[in-house]
Amino acid sequence: MAGPLAPTRTPEETVEEHGDLDRPWVTIVWNDPVNLMTYVTYVLQELFGYDEPTATTLMLQVHEEGKAIVSSGPRERMEHDTSRLHAYGLWASYQRDA
Amino acid sequence: MRPFRRKGSELVARLEPAEARILALLLDQLEQLLTADAEDVAGDPVVDRLLPAGHRSDPELAADYRELTEASLRAGKADDLATVRAALPPDGGTVRLDPEQATAWLRTSNDLRLALGTRLDIQEDTEPPEDLASEEGQQLAVYYWLTGLQGSLVDALAAGRAGRR
Repeated sequence: MAGPLAPTRTPEETVEEHGDLDRPWVTIVWNDPVNLMTYVTYVLQELFGYDEPTATTLMLQVHEEGKAIVSSGPRERMEHDTSRLHAYGLWASYQRDA
Repeated sequence: MRPFRRKGSELVARLEPAEARILALLLDQLEQLLTADAEDVAGDPVVDRLLPAGHRSDPELAADYRELTEASLRAGKADDLATVRAALPPDGGTVRLDPEQATAWLRTSNDLRLALGTRLDIQEDTEPPEDLASEEGQQLAVYYWLTGLQGSLVDALAAGRAGRR
């Protein structure tokens, strides 16, 4: 039971947790010169269930702008999404949404 | 090579003897890279590309990610590699893949292209080689051959998916 001397959370922890809620994490696919455009589109459909027009739009964004956000959510899920993309050789990373 | 085409639920291609031997050799080299002692391949750009950092600016998060995922990524690549080997006729001939085997071929052929592409410093504007006598010309030719093989597999799988709708 929490009395007056019970340890309280440090402010950093609280800020960190609120940050998690307010600003989700994102998974990003980066452009690279090797992966085929058809392959990137195929993988985005396969892993995230995007329809072909959506996957194609994201692939073109990667190709033309250098990167695209392909999913967003809690950190653990973004780590998982990044590893699924790495299994297919896509150049992916996750970070807190900017 | 006769590129991959869909036949019913299978994906079928035909490889020349020399093509099958080159592919087997590349699989051996990929396996060596992925099973090498970490110290021996530290900083190798190909290994860095095959097992990239999960987080780009925070070394602590990147280390967490590696600890969490690297073993299963490596195991997945090893499984794929074994699947590709098992379906590869050593002296060339017909390659016949069910959908699960096709996915392993897709990922492994991509890893081979990433490995060769990184070694050869492939860029968006790199052109197929004109001089096949040089070693680099030959390696580039292998890269473009793999691109054709993988491209035909992607197209056949994507067409199959569209057909299921």
